[in-house]
Amino acid sequence: MNLAKKSPAARAGWATIAVIATLAWAFPVYWMVNSSFLPGSTLEQLTPTFLPFGGSLSNFEAALSDGTFLRALGMSAAITFLTLIVCIAFAFLAALAISRFRFRGRKQFVLAVLVIQMIPAEALFIAQYKMIAGFGLLNTVVGVSLIYTATVIPFTIWMLRGFVAGIPAELEEAAMVDGLSRNQAFMRITFPLLAPGLVASGVYAFLQAWNEFAVALILLPDGSKATLPLWLRGFLQDSAVNTTNWGEVMAASTLVAVPVIVFFMFVQGRMTQGLVGGAVKG
Amino acid sequence: MKKMTSGAVAFAAASAIVLAGCSSSGTDEDPTTEPEGNGSEAPAEETVAQDISLWLMGAPDTPEALVTYLEEQYAEVNGGTLTVEAVAWGDALPRLTTALPDAANTPDVVEIGNTWAPTFTSVGAFSDLSDVYEELGGDDLLPSFTEVGSVDGTPYALPYYFGSRNMWARADLYEQGGVEAPTTLAEVTEVHASLKEQGIGGLYLGGQDWRNAISWIFANGGDLAAKDGDQWVSTLSSPESVAGIEQWQEMFQTASVAAANDTDADNYFIINDGSLSGIPAAASMAPSWASCCIGFDTGETTEEGDPVLAWDDAKNTAYGLPGVDGGLAPVFAGGSNIGISATSANQEGSRDLLRIIFSDEYQQLLGENGLGPANVNAKDSFVTDDFRQIAWDTAQVSKLTPAAPGWAAVEGSGLLEEFFQAVAEGGDVAALAAEYDAQITPQLNG
Amino acid sequence: MSAPAVAPPAQAQPPRLEDPPAPRARRRRTKLPYWLIIPAIVVVVVGTGYPLIWQFVTSFREYGLAQQFGQPAPFVGLQNYSEMLTDTGFWAIVLKSVVFCLVTAGVSMVLGIALALVMKNVGKALRLTLQIAMLLAWAMPIVAYMTVWTWLFDDRNGVINYLLSLIPGVDMIGHDWLINPWSFFAVASIIIIWYSVPFIAFSAYAGFTQVSDEVVEAAQLDGATGFQMTRRIILPIVKPVLSIVFLLQLIWDLRVFAQIQLLQDAGSFGSQYDLLGTYIYKLGTGSQDFGLAATASIVVMVLTLGLSWVYVRQLMKEDEQS
Repeated sequence: MNLAKKSPAARAGWATIAVIATLAWAFPVYWMVNSSFLPGSTLEQLTPTFLPFGGSLSNFEAALSDGTFLRALGMSAAITFLTLIVCIAFAFLAALAISRFRFRGRKQFVLAVLVIQMIPAEALFIAQYKMIAGFGLLNTVVGVSLIYTATVIPFTIWMLRGFVAGIPAELEEAAMVDGLSRNQAFMRITFPLLAPGLVASGVYAFLQAWNEFAVALILLPDGSKATLPLWLRGFLQDSAVNTTNWGEVMAASTLVAVPVIVFFMFVQGRMTQGLVGGAVKG
Repeated sequence: MKKMTSGAVAFAAASAIVLAGCSSSGTDEDPTTEPEGNGSEAPAEETVAQDISLWLMGAPDTPEALVTYLEEQYAEVNGGTLTVEAVAWGDALPRLTTALPDAANTPDVVEIGNTWAPTFTSVGAFSDLSDVYEELGGDDLLPSFTEVGSVDGTPYALPYYFGSRNMWARADLYEQGGVEAPTTLAEVTEVHASLKEQGIGGLYLGGQDWRNAISWIFANGGDLAAKDGDQWVSTLSSPESVAGIEQWQEMFQTASVAAANDTDADNYFIINDGSLSGIPAAASMAPSWASCCIGFDTGETTEEGDPVLAWDDAKNTAYGLPGVDGGLAPVFAGGSNIGISATSANQEGSRDLLRIIFSDEYQQLLGENGLGPANVNAKDSFVTDDFRQIAWDTAQVSKLTPAAPGWAAVEGSGLLEEFFQAVAEGGDVAALAAEYDAQITPQLNG
Repeated sequence: MSAPAVAPPAQAQPPRLEDPPAPRARRRRTKLPYWLIIPAIVVVVVGTGYPLIWQFVTSFREYGLAQQFGQPAPFVGLQNYSEMLTDTGFWAIVLKSVVFCLVTAGVSMVLGIALALVMKNVGKALRLTLQIAMLLAWAMPIVAYMTVWTWLFDDRNGVINYLLSLIPGVDMIGHDWLINPWSFFAVASIIIIWYSVPFIAFSAYAGFTQVSDEVVEAAQLDGATGFQMTRRIILPIVKPVLSIVFLLQLIWDLRVFAQIQLLQDAGSFGSQYDLLGTYIYKLGTGSQDFGLAATASIVVMVLTLGLSWVYVRQLMKEDEQS
């Protein structure tokens, strides 16, 4: 999308802000990765080490040494994948319903979806445990995913509803005038336009499921079923017995963040594809 | 999975235990002695292999060698499999709260922090151990720990290990400042205030570090709470407690190099060189097993890149916190209790495990690994050097937190951290004590 | 909402989506929307129905650890509620939480929209770098970024104090940011804003990209300037998305829990550092008073609804009209 022509001064101004913002958001990430290569003794010094020179992979070796990382990775991947798929599919359908249809009970549904998110979750753990244990789903991917999906779906519906509402139905109609069927019009016009919205809400669902630890702690009492956040917490707690080994903790944190970044790179591509390849030109 | 059936059986067994628990006798006829652990098809025999689980606190705090020992011994004695699960201290309360009442998923044997023992025993979380109490050591077990794990004389959670607290200090800094190790509690303040004034060092005790601060209350004859009739009352505002807290306040303001919001998290290593900017810590108070982490940077690193620390007799020293009139002050005794979940279907297997834990051999192992053994007869395994002697001596005069049912709630609410921080920041002790007494008392009775 | 780009969708002719097993609805009053929302409803009801009902019922009960271990849990009517609502400590935390939430959510929104505009107004290279930086920030697990941030703010070897001390005449080494409640919450707010902005910026940017070229070109032909275009054409289009994002920020920031909890673990523990989330957690998990914790949850929900009611109603009205 091209906006009106900008003056060089304006362009420089925008660029400066972009650079400052980039630094502000990247620095903590850089700090994590940088520190993960440095030995604990360097990190304990009063003068921070800003460059990763003289670093080694030993922190990563220490973090990976007991082999529990891969197990936790598998568990997290399964839970996140299940949550993400179910969430996006169901939320998309519901978002279509409330943004493209008028039906009895619609208002109540929309309101309920909103209000349900206002309930604090900190006191729910006893009931969640009782329910999931009652289903026989403790220590299972399905049990945790069920709670995650139920908590994330209301948000996803709201999010997607906004995106669907933002797409004028006329676009589809225009396409139908050009001879496409209603479904073709939807698939070729609306859906590609929705891609960024699907990605944004999908990413949100992904992150929720990937990072959550309070529910997982209660519903996965078996240590061998721990998810990555639990693994990372355990790692922090282990290392806190002595003085916190920042290097190892940062290496472990980096390891937990990497799959997310991989996922992001993947959807980032999809998002662009959707935008470029979609029939936006109508 | 046989989950459904064994779960249902376990539930029936659990209700039977709750009923049986009232009479505390005839545990031999207890329905739970019948086998269920191996599923409904298991033949009913006297000793049956039961697969059980053991929750240990920390990472776990029990050394790996001991865990392996338990697993091997259990397989030998019982024939079943022992699964050990580590539960981080910070995660323990919600996990115990949900899992222990759930017969289908409860851990069978559970270690809990000694200060939580009254809370969980008073709600019936653990099985009555009267039937095996004598066999497991009886009166030879640490009396103060047995007491917090008992309700009206009936033992539910037995001592697992203890750790006491003592002062870890820098002999070199003491020498540099021309001071001797203190011999009374008042001198603790004087000595470190002098060092701090000279800019040489100070006492590292944080404002939120209530576990160490309560030693000052104990030393002055005060206590955290007292039982008035059948109700617990917080006694921070008793004259003795106030005297102790005021003495601690003076210590904090004149001699401490820690901040008002510091906890005891750093006490292990803080006296190592270069840990603090500004005035270093010349002494701190930490559990007896802190010797692991005290020493001087040798410049070498382990394979993982951690610095190798070496204890140096010329620079490092340790002594017990002195009392008001010399001798030893009563310090807070850390440690754990251990019990069998009341809802567990594997009562027999769990008792087998307790027999292993309280065996002479395992008690020796605890002692050798620096964990104070529950059985006093294992003293010699523990007291192997001067530091262990200090640990042993301070443990003999140590005190526990009140055996009130709501004590875990008091800890969980963070009121003690808050109170001592307010005192450390210079608040009026009597007024604060009265204010927090009013908040703590309702929590104490569960 | 009467923006030119968003003409009312043809409500009389809902798009009939492919729904293979069921015969295509002939009538205007189609059952299709119900089929579309049923899966979501089922998941939500199964996943949260029982816990929410349990929470509601428990708020009228005396429910502590003893009840959790099988003692009967007597109904005590409104006792929990009266205890909670007459506690001045609770209202102090409510006030703190509301202020914290408004400041944090407000600043997050402003920064988020501003950065979405930045993304739109800079060249591809800069935009991608900024997007990647924000994605990386957003990808950090909460435990990880809280660890990094508390370390950055560490009194002794934190980068923030180090950098501030480079300014001549300033010596911040040893300054503890977490001891004073005001600066504790300021640090918490900075961290939460840092983490919230990427999501807002991406949502806003995704909204911006929905503005089709025709609309922009048409407006340009009409002589609209960049600012006018932003205000009159683009903002109305992204408004539905932004409204929801803002409302959700308000909801989340009001009941923020994990960040405050982890910051308390790192620095200061005590009620003066509490917001509603940690307050409820301490009541329940800490003090094992699950009845009161459930009550607090219900009260917080009602409060949230009350505070956002005007906004919710407006949203619902817009929703009706769109």
